[in-house]
Amino acid sequence: MSSCGAVVGGVSLDHVDVTKQAVIQGVISNSAGPASTGYARLNDKNGEFVAEVPLSERGEFRFFAAPGTWTVVALIPGGTSRTDVTAELGQIADLDITL
Amino acid sequence: MARNEVLVDTEWALAHIDDPKIVFVEVDEDTAAYEANHIRGAVGLNWRTELQDGVRRDIIRKESIEALLSAKGIANDDTVVLYGGNNNWFAAYAYWYLKLYGHQDVRLLDGGRKKWELDGLELVSEPTVRPATTYVATEQDRSLRSFRDDVLNAIGTKNLVDVRSPDEYAGRLLAPAHLPQETSQVAGHVPTAVNIPWSKAANDDGTFKSDDELKSLYEGAGVDLDKDTIAYCRIGERSSHTWFVLRELLGIQNVTNYDGSWTEYGSLVDVPVAVGDAPGQA
Repeated sequence: MSSCGAVVGGVSLDHVDVTKQAVIQGVISNSAGPASTGYARLNDKNGEFVAEVPLSERGEFRFFAAPGTWTVVALIPGGTSRTDVTAELGQIADLDITL
Repeated sequence: MARNEVLVDTEWALAHIDDPKIVFVEVDEDTAAYEANHIRGAVGLNWRTELQDGVRRDIIRKESIEALLSAKGIANDDTVVLYGGNNNWFAAYAYWYLKLYGHQDVRLLDGGRKKWELDGLELVSEPTVRPATTYVATEQDRSLRSFRDDVLNAIGTKNLVDVRSPDEYAGRLLAPAHLPQETSQVAGHVPTAVNIPWSKAANDDGTFKSDDELKSLYEGAGVDLDKDTIAYCRIGERSSHTWFVLRELLGIQNVTNYDGSWTEYGSLVDVPVAVGDAPGQA
């Protein structure tokens, strides 16, 4: 059974047919480099929470969205930021977010 | 039940971290999270390997939960403080689970692992070993749990609260957006269910909103809290979060968790399904 749970950094793309997915992924950094502690949250176009994953040790996150406009919220100790992004089917939207 | 009897904050946790009768329990889907680090003295529960029956699609039986909690060193008279990632989804599921089997004193750590991490509080990697106990569970309290027939019978008569995100409710997504969108079920929701995402009950740091805010949230969405309420999501974790809000924080007794949730309902043959943003007709 698949779970509702979030894995660190987001689910691997191994064995996933990305042509059927609208992937949003990226790296969140602070002034010292990639943030090893923190969370990435995905909000929909109305600002409603959709998903959240803990960052990997390299500050990485990944979401499987639907085509449309989304907002990635970066939550790290001492800082929060919001970045709008457009997702398309079969495309990987890569973000580099620095706080 | 008063809020402070079911919910503790980080300050309380830090003051009680060395109390041998208070057991901190981390519950995550990703066991690597507990293994990497956890609150000092906390034991870990793996929802997938330890809280699911390995053969049937069901929660584990009474004898199994007794063996599990005994091995973890949890006694019947211990205070269990649950916390975890995902804004406490899995911790809330474990809370519901322990209540189902009659544990008296269970609490959630407000904000869970996320708030603990964002506050920069201590996490350790050494596994915790507690002396084994002889745990005795009660029979399942079925007044806390709904099954598929209860849901079908509730269409148009009881409150059905779908706590998934609006896109999952409407059928635009099949799963939460941190998972691949590949599942066998159809998309949509149970007709007449209102969509009140679990996240509306939580602040950004994962803590619960105030009782007044929570009450207005459900009443504002047209939920008549005098009627029976069934909460569901995809596999029963997020709906445990809402069940906790309604029953444990707001003290509304006639609330159940449909842990089969959309994974089961969306696979049933010959049942009504609504798509789109409106609840739909009975």
